[in-house]
Amino acid sequence: MAVDIGGTFTDVCVFDDGSGTTRVGKVSSTEDPIDAVFDGIRAVGVEMGEIGLFSHGTTVATNALITRSFPRAAMITTKGFRDVIEIRRGTKQDLWDAYKDVAPPYIRRRDRFEVSERVDYSGRELEPVDEEELRRVAHLIRRRGIETVAVCLVNSHANPGHEERVKEILGEELPGVSVSTSSEVLPEIFEHERFSTTVANAVLSPLVGGYARRLAERMKEGGYRGDVLLLHSGGGVMTTEAVERLGGRLASSGLAAGAIACGHIARLAGYENAVGFDMGGTSADISVMVDGETRVTNDWYVEYGYPIRFPSVEVLTIGAGGGSIAWIDAAGSLRNGPQSAGSNPGPACYGLGGEEPTNTDANLVLGRLGAELIGGAMTLDREKAEGAIGKVGGPLGLDTVEAARAVVQVANANSADAIRLALIRRGHDPRDFALVAFGGAGPLHGAELARELSIPTVLVPLNPGITSALGCLLVDVRHDFSEMRLVPADETEPPEIEARFQALEGEARERLRAEGIGEEDVRLVRSVDMRYLGQWRSLEIPVEGEVASLDALTARFHEEHERQHTYKREGQPVEIYGLRVAAIGTIPKPELPYEEPQEHEPEPENYREVVFGDGEALRTAVYRRDGLRPGARIDGPAIVEQLDSTVVVPPGDGAEVDGYSNILVHVGGAK
Amino acid sequence: MTEKQTLDPVTFEVLKNALTTVVDEMAEQILRTCHSFVIWARDFSNAICDAEGNTVMQGTQDIAVHVGTLHFTAKAVIEAFEGDIHPGDVFAINDPYVGGTHFNDVRIIRPVFVGDELIAFAQSAGHWADVGGTVPGSFDISAKAHFGEGLRIPAIRIWDRGHYRQDVVNLLTSNTRAPGDVEGDLLAQAEATKVAEREILRLVEKYGKGTLLTAFAEVQDYVERLTRRRVSELPDGTWETEDYIDGDPSAEEGLIPIKVKMTIREDQILYDLSGSHPVIGTFLNAGMGTGFSGIVAGTKTFFPEVPLNSGFYRVIDANLPENTVVNAPWPTAVTGFCSGAYEKIMNALFELWSRVMPERALACCFNLEYLLIGGRDRRTEDAPFFMWYDWMVGGWGGRNGKDGSNATSPVFGVGLAVQPFEGQERLSPVVTSAHHIVADSGGPGRFRGGCGVEKGGTLTQLDDTVMSYCCDRARSITWGIEGGLPSIPHGVWLNKERPQGQFLGAVFSNVEVGEGDEFTRPSAGGGGYGDPLLRDPEAVREDVADGYVTVEGARRDYGVVVREVDAELAEWEVDEGATRKERAEIREKRLSWLEEDPEALAARYRGGEVGTSELIRRHGVILDWGTGELLPKTTEGFRAMLQRRTVPHWQNGSPRG
Repeated sequence: MAVDIGGTFTDVCVFDDGSGTTRVGKVSSTEDPIDAVFDGIRAVGVEMGEIGLFSHGTTVATNALITRSFPRAAMITTKGFRDVIEIRRGTKQDLWDAYKDVAPPYIRRRDRFEVSERVDYSGRELEPVDEEELRRVAHLIRRRGIETVAVCLVNSHANPGHEERVKEILGEELPGVSVSTSSEVLPEIFEHERFSTTVANAVLSPLVGGYARRLAERMKEGGYRGDVLLLHSGGGVMTTEAVERLGGRLASSGLAAGAIACGHIARLAGYENAVGFDMGGTSADISVMVDGETRVTNDWYVEYGYPIRFPSVEVLTIGAGGGSIAWIDAAGSLRNGPQSAGSNPGPACYGLGGEEPTNTDANLVLGRLGAELIGGAMTLDREKAEGAIGKVGGPLGLDTVEAARAVVQVANANSADAIRLALIRRGHDPRDFALVAFGGAGPLHGAELARELSIPTVLVPLNPGITSALGCLLVDVRHDFSEMRLVPADETEPPEIEARFQALEGEARERLRAEGIGEEDVRLVRSVDMRYLGQWRSLEIPVEGEVASLDALTARFHEEHERQHTYKREGQPVEIYGLRVAAIGTIPKPELPYEEPQEHEPEPENYREVVFGDGEALRTAVYRRDGLRPGARIDGPAIVEQLDSTVVVPPGDGAEVDGYSNILVHVGGAK
Repeated sequence: MTEKQTLDPVTFEVLKNALTTVVDEMAEQILRTCHSFVIWARDFSNAICDAEGNTVMQGTQDIAVHVGTLHFTAKAVIEAFEGDIHPGDVFAINDPYVGGTHFNDVRIIRPVFVGDELIAFAQSAGHWADVGGTVPGSFDISAKAHFGEGLRIPAIRIWDRGHYRQDVVNLLTSNTRAPGDVEGDLLAQAEATKVAEREILRLVEKYGKGTLLTAFAEVQDYVERLTRRRVSELPDGTWETEDYIDGDPSAEEGLIPIKVKMTIREDQILYDLSGSHPVIGTFLNAGMGTGFSGIVAGTKTFFPEVPLNSGFYRVIDANLPENTVVNAPWPTAVTGFCSGAYEKIMNALFELWSRVMPERALACCFNLEYLLIGGRDRRTEDAPFFMWYDWMVGGWGGRNGKDGSNATSPVFGVGLAVQPFEGQERLSPVVTSAHHIVADSGGPGRFRGGCGVEKGGTLTQLDDTVMSYCCDRARSITWGIEGGLPSIPHGVWLNKERPQGQFLGAVFSNVEVGEGDEFTRPSAGGGGYGDPLLRDPEAVREDVADGYVTVEGARRDYGVVVREVDAELAEWEVDEGATRKERAEIREKRLSWLEEDPEALAARYRGGEVGTSELIRRHGVILDWGTGELLPKTTEGFRAMLQRRTVPHWQNGSPRG
């Protein structure tokens, strides 16, 4: 069973091992998110004792950071440096708006303490830890009732000794207080990035650790006997014990699930390269899978200025959702988003008081959305939608249909720009990708978006609205270990690098063993970060097997640099920046049901008038998703309606249902 | 400008956004491949210019100091190579006398052709860490003329119809201290322009050349229309102010005025800088391009939502009189313009626009300070050349209803990131001693200026090492508006805690330093907004609890008496009675404090009886902060500035607040 908690809804996905079938449920999120978990379990009608494995993705950590609702935390740092996390790198996200500020740090200045101590860049001690001073600081922390501490000392990546000593003393002085040391959390150079990650970990660990513990206890009381696993940002799961120490790793848990599911479904369907386009009510999340691996980044934050450099599934969120508002700017130009009507009042056609024209209104006017959402959960008010769309049509001299078409086209172009930037800036060609369209609104826009991007195929999963929950069931336990190792490639020898990898792997095996993963289920993946001497960013180069030759690695680096950045400098010295080991503990995963497709042409439910592209309204066949079997073939124009989404197949495109019940739209005329 | 666009609204919006995506892709390419730590810290810009050189679109995260100059350099290339520009060519230019910024900012410009028709230029500008000259980092404060400052690159061709001219590139790189990195940056920038070329040609294929060329024009028209509409909603009128460079080191002490008169007439903005001081004998002058850039950047701060391109420039008329600090001709040294005339124009504009748009008011902000230490690193046997070039964040000005932001990048480049000192320590023999916020550095005000920071270090194993500093505002200290007070002075201290300690000031070059020397310097905070005696005492108490303001500072600057409840718990309280009394007393005396004998105050400063903040904020007295010697002319100018800018907003009779 997997549960994915979002801001509005909690999705439950149950995979039945025996029958190979999946059941899904959707309940409203609750004030204590754990209540919704149990509501969801009840909704799908499963007994706790029957659950073999429980896996969980949650936005609890992300929301805690955004709303600053986490326990008061303290920071202990080297004398002279308590403001590193406030100074940050100094930049603002909004360059020109002098009234828009970067959010304040997660720990207030009054709770940031300094202790005399110092090691240099090479790890050599310049000044020992002033233990008396430290004990005085511990006294202040105790008096203030603070129960979590980030220990962030300068150059601790080069020598963790001082941080270890500080942790030891805090253990004596402040029993029961959670301590995160930067050398343990992220042993990497660059003080702000390391400190900031450690601070995020310190504020989140007690919170999400406590959450995980409570959840596990209630699950146990209910009769569940397995491990409670939590999805972390990097696209793996971790146990509740690990969450109590490394809570920061859950900072983007909620976002990761959709990307993982998208990658998995695309791979099963035979696509190794895929772009995930998860469009909901207010925004769209874009993720990328290349060669079967969902792209992960270390360059990530919840709030600008406060990097969390744990590996995180790379998700780009843009302000383009069903509720995004179309508007005319001061120069008379048509814009779309990022403001959104949200779910309340929502689009004008919801009839809840919304008056602004949204993408949903435009889709209704064009006939792409039906006036009645399937299951009768909601009726859409076409008149209100037309009225709202008229607000942008009037000033532009467009009739309602033309205006609705313009609104959708601008929305698609904006999304296409974002996807193009995500792909092209890493040297990928959109034509090599499939677009996985999910979320409530993704399948409405997928085919036209793909055409804009020259992407030949759109894949719509069986349950586009709850794809994210599925993601939680499709992952392994995963931890990431890294070590800074700055050395020119021609000044080190393979045995030295090999020895360091083995040390990291020792640590990795230990962690997995502690989590109860059997040796036979452990998989270790090595990579090395390299760059041209003098460059500032490095590229991650995979390392297969034992390190036998650095020349081979260097050659791969040149190749990768050329692929991503279109040039290489073979004469230029190459530097190794760091070593990484991903520790993966394989856990059982559901096998999605497969049925051999039998080619056939299904009968439409009915017909309605739908406007596509630049053309006039066409009589369009409407199908029900639950009536489509593997092998069904549909020619566009067509609409497929289902409980949680609507799939648009434009004229000239063809669609088929594959063996996993995905709809594949083959986009015609993509250029 | 055409009043009505001919492209349909969808095609227009799609192409406008696509062009933004192109310049942002260029930025990605640069960030991932650059060598210069200055470029990596985002001191770069990218633009698409049309066939005439006008800027169609520039990067959304580009550094402010390049805005309003990219079209000049594109036009300079066109002029130099008219009739001789071919597919496969790539050009380079850094000439500040034809619209470049300074020698370090080298622009790589690639013409884009459809068949044999030139349709656009892709331009990538980046700050190279060193371009030669007598001082490491190519910042020579003593330069009066540009010869010897660094390499001046007029428009030159570095790829000739696809053929890389290694000989020409060698001429550039072999005149710098870091030839490998410089060539790496050149390649990174050239590739960025190639990315743009590829994307522009993709758009041509998809939409047709004619449509794209129309979009080039209409995107500029759009920005012009948007700006004009906004300007026409504002009241017509004329506003005047002036700001100052600290002085002319080659002449007598005294502030150097930059005068700005702004007129809004219907939908046009006119700036007249006549009356600004003639060029001075240091490199703080601005060239024509950067004088204009200061105007564009200052204006743009009040129109944050308007995209930047040549359409924006059409709304602006600027009179930059020649031979003054805002338009210095060849061969006057201009490398330090950014700390000098440039930011004075920007900050003066902040004050003028604060009057026009009070809801977006902004007091004087911190701008660039740039410390350069270069020499031989003796930590390894080959003693390689090291460059510890460092810049800090500072405080921004107080705002209407909101304190200024603490510790923020300089206004000339809000995207300019400070460097991690752990990285610096690895690369150079300098151990950072502190990097923290300075208490009481925010200019006092009802809404105080943001706090500045301090960063210092100890030099370890090194030889043949010199230090230079490009800064300003040790005397023309960041000022407040609406009755707000100034921040603190800039300036570097060498061995401050030792008997032989020296104040080196805010501009110097090639000062010899050696092993064991310690240095430190603060960055300015922002100026305050509004009378500090009207600040909510609870806000002062919170600032004391967090150490942004000291207990003494609270009393001196705000007249707020804060008492300790339990410092261990960070608990403080306001003594309301004492505060009322303190504020009444300040109200009564503050006008006369500004009249006190400066010479006597200087003597008390030398005797340790009054501090720097008290001298500046209460008395408007400016000294040589090292010797304590009075600067009489500067003090006179500074006091006149306070009388003009601050005092009229004080209500001294009525006991409000």
